[in-house]
Amino acid sequence: MPKILTIELISTFSCQRCQTARNFLKQVVEKFSAQQVLYKEVSVLEQIDYVVSLGVLNTPAIAINGKLIFRSIPTKKQLYTEIDKQLQGDMKCIK
Amino acid sequence: MYQIGHISKKLNISADTLRYYEKIELLPAISRNSSGIRQYSDYDISLIKFIKRAQRMKFSLDEISHLLDFRKSPISAQPQVRQMANEKLVETAIQIQELTTLKNELQLLVNLCTGDKDHCPILNGFEEK
Repeated sequence: MPKILTIELISTFSCQRCQTARNFLKQVVEKFSAQQVLYKEVSVLEQIDYVVSLGVLNTPAIAINGKLIFRSIPTKKQLYTEIDKQLQGDMKCIK
Repeated sequence: MYQIGHISKKLNISADTLRYYEKIELLPAISRNSSGIRQYSDYDISLIKFIKRAQRMKFSLDEISHLLDFRKSPISAQPQVRQMANEKLVETAIQIQELTTLKNELQLLVNLCTGDKDHCPILNGFEEK
């Protein structure tokens, strides 16, 4: 059973770019089923130890499966490419 | 060669402390000029800097004394001294890791605070809670 890809948006509540990233990520995640991709938000203030351990130095940032992948908002193409790469990686493991 | 006043100012360490280190043989006897005034060499400065760094890492003067012996001749050091140096190396690595985590946390907070001209999102976050 392939594991679910968890995409985390690391944000702060008053960060304008975070709102943009939020809207953008929701649009992308909608294209995938809930069995494939899960979207979560991580507040810097509430989980600062976790955020620092990821290597985040600014917001918004995007982690996938607990690893920092994007230090700023990626393009749609970059994000889809990364999601496909990680999902296909899972499929290779199943074989 | 440098006099004690210059070393004291440059390394931010009191002249009394420098004389004390020499008295307890933490520093080797400092060479003197014809007027009896201490003349510190670059090697002496290197030793003093090592002592200061080790003190900042909370090493005792006794431990530092052993480490200085090890520093002078690591090849012929006693096994116990070599082991102590290894233990201090591990302790230092842990402290570096903790300081790095603290640095990264502070850097993140600083970055977030300067991200908004009008107000700091971190301070607002604490106020609203």
